[in-house]
Amino acid sequence: MSNLKATLTGYASYRGREGHYSFLLHRITGLGTALFLIIHILDTSFVYFFPDLYQHAINLYRSTLFGIAEVGLVFCVFFHGVNGLRVAFFDLIAPRLWSVPKQRFSTKITLLITLLMWIPASAIMLYNLLYHNFGWFGG
Amino acid sequence: MTTNTRTIQKPKPNFETKSWLFMRYSAILLIPLVFGHLILQDVIVGVHRIDLDYVEMRWASIGWRIYDALLLAFAFAHGVNGIRQVLNDFIQSDRGRKFMHWGLFLLWLIVTAIGAIALIGGVRPIS
Repeated sequence: MSNLKATLTGYASYRGREGHYSFLLHRITGLGTALFLIIHILDTSFVYFFPDLYQHAINLYRSTLFGIAEVGLVFCVFFHGVNGLRVAFFDLIAPRLWSVPKQRFSTKITLLITLLMWIPASAIMLYNLLYHNFGWFGG
Repeated sequence: MTTNTRTIQKPKPNFETKSWLFMRYSAILLIPLVFGHLILQDVIVGVHRIDLDYVEMRWASIGWRIYDALLLAFAFAHGVNGIRQVLNDFIQSDRGRKFMHWGLFLLWLIVTAIGAIALIGGVRPIS
């Protein structure tokens, strides 16, 4: 347990600003996506193993609670993807970009691109949620 | 003045180096695959229009099955290896890491196998 505490204290108390926050966000969004992915592979495999229960699983995804979680999930995937591409580009093609000022600038660009993708996507998903679950917009 | 040169042999890539590279190469592949999957299924189609018939129609095309097979193979391996890298920060003993690595390997193998069987078997009619 001391390892757990030491690592978590390190995560919280390290003051690396933008690089540190994007490291933490990359981990949280990655773990969130991976945990959902396990569930998602299993629920999709119901179409073969338990086709009777597939609709039941889909109905859970259509609930308002999951509809909101879905908007969060899409943020996780978009941020993790855009930031992951930044990391891959820096590591594989331009390692000279691993400097503090470049890091500060590029993390902000990463967040901006993520938001530009996520805001319209979540607007459409929230529209669908309000249409189907609350009868808005003539639904 | 003489110049001395020293040759340093590049170490042979070990498992961790390969895993580090795999995360980056698979990331580049997963950008179009996963973003495309999300934008199509969550945003354009939406979960309210997805049901057994939709999956059957989609999987009738071999192209979409290959697309989903690539997602299953690369996204899940990338995810499980990511969980492994995170847990390596928290588990430092050799014994604990060995236990965790084998646990995650089994999780990856079982879930991938379940997904692959469903992908190959396709949608079965409701009994």
